[in-house]
Amino acid sequence: MKNNKRFWLIAMFLTLAAFLAACSGSDGDASKDDSSTDDSKDSATAEGEPQKGGTMVYGIDAPPEGLFNSAFYGIATDAEVIGLFDEALIDYNEKLEPQPNVASWTTEDNKVFNFKFKEGVKWHNGEELTVNDWVFAFETIASPDYDGPRYSNVQTIEGAEAFRSGKADTISGVEVVNDHEINITFDEARVNNLTNLWPYPLPESVLGDVPVAEMSASEWVRTTPIGIGPFKVDKIVPGESVELSRFDEYWNGDVNLDKIIVRVIDNSSVVGALQNGDVDMISLQPVSGPEVEPLENVDIITYPGLSYYYVGFKLGKFDNAKQTISEELPKYQSKELRQAMMYAINRQEWADAFFFGYAKVVNKPVPTSHWNAADDSDLNTYDYDPEKAKELLDAAGYVDTNGDGFREDPNGDEFVVKFSHYATGNPTFEPRAQAITQYWEEVGIQSELEMVEVNLYYEMLEKDDPSMETFFGGWSTGSDPDPSATWKADQLWNYTRYNNPEADKLLDDALNIDIVGTDQQKRADLYIEWQKIVNEEVPMLYIAELEEIVALNKRVGGTEYDVSGSNSPAKWFVKK
Amino acid sequence: MLKYTVRRLLGMIPMLILISVVVFSLAKLMPGDSLSGEIDPLNTNPQYIAEMREKLGYNEPLPVQYFNWVTDFVQGDFGKSTRFKVPVADVIKEKLPNTLFLGVTSLLITYILAFLMGMYSGRKPYTIGDNAIAGLNYVMLAIPSFVAAVFAIYFFSFHLNWFPFGGSVDIQVEEGTLEYWISRFHHVLLPALVLGTLSTASYTQFLRNDIIENSRKDFVRTARAKGTPMKKIYNVHILRNSIIPLVTFLGFDFAALIGGAIITETIFTYPGIGQLFLNSVTTQDYPTLMALTMLLSFLTLAGNLLADILYGIVDPRIRLD
Repeated sequence: MKNNKRFWLIAMFLTLAAFLAACSGSDGDASKDDSSTDDSKDSATAEGEPQKGGTMVYGIDAPPEGLFNSAFYGIATDAEVIGLFDEALIDYNEKLEPQPNVASWTTEDNKVFNFKFKEGVKWHNGEELTVNDWVFAFETIASPDYDGPRYSNVQTIEGAEAFRSGKADTISGVEVVNDHEINITFDEARVNNLTNLWPYPLPESVLGDVPVAEMSASEWVRTTPIGIGPFKVDKIVPGESVELSRFDEYWNGDVNLDKIIVRVIDNSSVVGALQNGDVDMISLQPVSGPEVEPLENVDIITYPGLSYYYVGFKLGKFDNAKQTISEELPKYQSKELRQAMMYAINRQEWADAFFFGYAKVVNKPVPTSHWNAADDSDLNTYDYDPEKAKELLDAAGYVDTNGDGFREDPNGDEFVVKFSHYATGNPTFEPRAQAITQYWEEVGIQSELEMVEVNLYYEMLEKDDPSMETFFGGWSTGSDPDPSATWKADQLWNYTRYNNPEADKLLDDALNIDIVGTDQQKRADLYIEWQKIVNEEVPMLYIAELEEIVALNKRVGGTEYDVSGSNSPAKWFVKK
Repeated sequence: MLKYTVRRLLGMIPMLILISVVVFSLAKLMPGDSLSGEIDPLNTNPQYIAEMREKLGYNEPLPVQYFNWVTDFVQGDFGKSTRFKVPVADVIKEKLPNTLFLGVTSLLITYILAFLMGMYSGRKPYTIGDNAIAGLNYVMLAIPSFVAAVFAIYFFSFHLNWFPFGGSVDIQVEEGTLEYWISRFHHVLLPALVLGTLSTASYTQFLRNDIIENSRKDFVRTARAKGTPMKKIYNVHILRNSIIPLVTFLGFDFAALIGGAIITETIFTYPGIGQLFLNSVTTQDYPTLMALTMLLSFLTLAGNLLADILYGIVDPRIRLD
């Protein structure tokens, strides 16, 4: 009988474990890269000739909110659906350099841009796309009634501020030449004006009569959205599926598939759905990777992501009213201490254990596939070396003086590293945070872990709560690699409060058109200089960069992935 | 009866005011707000978040916020969902039919199963069959619905291919046709089975005990003495008496019907109130969260009232006034 009980206990534990593994869903990081842009370059497919017709099932792992317009959406799943039926005027190649798509441009000074639209590009309702639809998008986003988060992409156009505050009826920097040509003047010359500019038109023919405040709730955003992409939306069942069919008047060549069905698939069902062929294409969480790999009918494709994870140190306090770092916190000011804590962590082992081989160790706060990433040969790679960590700690005065097995600080006082990690429903977060504290304890640094509820976590980080000393975080970068928003001393989201005027100067210079002109290499060199500084100073311990993982049924062909995302869905096909 | 009903209804008012205070304070006590999830240097900036907080009135003093919320709520304006950017009432209206459909189906399954098992157990108490049924019932009561849901999907959807693994309808069938309704029924069946079979315990045991109790009553002895067949005694005389108290359970099921099955709906990606509730918690969509909590509290109160009134109707011995 006793044995029997134990059997049931074990069986129940296994059940629970299986369930937990299955439901360890979305990562609770604040920023997910949802700026995936279509790459429409022509591709000869390796899997054979494209075939016409057929229906493909595209999976998403969370219910869409139903804001199917680039100007209004809030979550990445909505953006995925939008990517199937709409496309941007400007595209990005595998080096994240802007490429002409519908619009091509010329500029002499990076302040005034002339854009020309291709003629004959149709909206799904049959109306032709003109530059007026773009102007309409700018004016919508700059309207004081606009309730989405994209104003920063329009703000830099000359006169946008005046339009927003009601001082002007139009945006003065926007000058329509004719239906297919437009001049846009920015408030000042910047190297990244083009990549920052809002690249999606908004269909004036249908949304023109809707007041801006009601747009996000209107049927043209929620149930019958239109775009200029290769597929048009036929039908939406809110919260679970979307039916798209081929748009015959698509401007950029033939479309292979007849239909795409978008379906929400809960993380617990992904593996089964892939195995049964119920879904042809879906982005995977790293935790599902090992389960999907053995499936015979499914290929796993990985491509570089644009996000990195780090362990940050609170080096100061930020005064939000004055936008400056007002106070320096002494505990982690020793560079040797920070470097030692970096050497102490076996990042490769950690990434393999918690990201199942879908993450790479990173030594800088710039994802490796960006054009401005420094090569590892220029940087200290901080290979796992606990002996070196101990040496550094000894040299910096962190030695065990009272014989308790842990080091004291140079004044001989108890030294305990407090480490915070966010907690969501994901059961892997606590062990992965625990693993980091264990690495530190192995070189004699006493560490304490605190798991904090995710929403509270970012609030505490932002307000420099004293209980946050070292913290786990992640950032993602966009198509323009400028890290100012998360690194400069006058930014709220510089959570480490790293304050180095020399480093900030490099970031400013890299954006300064008088210094770098239009030379990308010059810009990259400045960013590399900057990376050398932050690699040496380690205000945060760079841990790993993630790969994006896509599971593809073997019957799907014509797909291509690079750092900018997938190629145009027009090229996808299914084998019969 | 009328007097009693009115008195109870009036008594609900202070209760609802208290609930609204609790709901509001709990929502405000939760760390962060609906904008704290939008920290993302790519798409937005700190100024936008500060501006939106001002616009949404998060910077007003709490009593003012509470007063605004309650005044709007009483007038039927539940606010605008911060996540969907449409009025909360519309979001709820969109999900409600799905949840009702699932709720009614699962309730029917529960009734049918509980009825059959309860009758058998009541007629043959303390036999192996009775014990087996009781054991089965309590095991199912103990299984968490999410575990059962994951296993049901794995076994019935992926292994046997009998049911779809998620969603409420196949998007490719024409709306309004017979095929459409068949598809909807096909989709709702598996989650309804999971929910329905797991909650038979209380009904079964209630019915069983009532039948046992009734079978010892004098009218049963009289009927037997007169030579009425046992089958008839159980199926007509006893059953009719034993079903009566069960009717009152309906009142308690009322709120559960609307509330949906939070976890089960999420696992089956079945877009209903339960899934909405869970998502509005994780995305801090306060207007939706508060409206749903108020709605469910109100329905629970109304359900209790309904149960009490039904008691009076089916059993005249109970005096309400």
